[in-house]
Amino acid sequence: MRLARPYSGVFRGGATARTGPHAMPLARIKKIMKRSAGDGSGADGAGARMISVEAPVVFSRACELLVAELTRAAWAATLEGKRRTMHREDVAQAVRDTDLFDFLVDVVKDDGGDAGAGGREGLLAPVPGRHVDDDGALD
Amino acid sequence: MSESVDTPESGGGAKEQERFLPIANIGRIMRRGVPENGKIAKDAKESIQECVSEFISFMTSEASDKCMKEKRKTINGDDLIWSMGTLGFEDYVEPLKLYLKLYREMEGDTSKGSQSGKKEVVLNGQPGSSFNGM
Repeated sequence: MRLARPYSGVFRGGATARTGPHAMPLARIKKIMKRSAGDGSGADGAGARMISVEAPVVFSRACELLVAELTRAAWAATLEGKRRTMHREDVAQAVRDTDLFDFLVDVVKDDGGDAGAGGREGLLAPVPGRHVDDDGALD
Repeated sequence: MSESVDTPESGGGAKEQERFLPIANIGRIMRRGVPENGKIAKDAKESIQECVSEFISFMTSEASDKCMKEKRKTINGDDLIWSMGTLGFEDYVEPLKLYLKLYREMEGDTSKGSQSGKKEVVLNGQPGSSFNGM
């Protein structure tokens, strides 16, 4: 049984016990980090970086903050379009409107499934079938 | 800490979904940010999923570079917080420092033989390393 702790309000976590006290699954965060944390092929001999246990913990919270911020900005775009349903293009607008999100410009680019992320390392190269049309399922 | 269960999700196989955080978790946080009668289409959630993964990559790269310059092998929480502060996410720094502080305290509190201090997970090494006491 989970004991009540004074900080338990901070660790809101998910609705189930599966992900533990954090909002995001730490193992999944770790997997995503591994792709970027040095691949040993750097010219200066950069070797594989190790990841401390607390690093994904920090990201769990940071991603929560990011999602909240992006959502708020995207919702503003939704309202601007006089709609009540947020779509991908609202997220794209939020990214365009916010300097802080400049690094996301290629990620949200919707060009019909082409290599919109080609300018980056290709981490998020579009995968066929990933895009849904505007009639995508509603929440 | 137990692995999160991978529920089946549309948009590709399990391998693709490992590149993103689960859409259910993302959706839950998004829901808190829109009014009761607001709706969120699936494509919006997917877009946010992609953004989050890019954010993780970006911050991790910066932190990794920092560690390399300082001749350290391990990326820790402070490195990530530093990266975010450097890349425009100053507003996240204090909340994250607090979160990290509380996490460290909790870890010390529930120690059932757990060591305080860093536990390191080898990136390209053996799988099966696990986190302690999540």
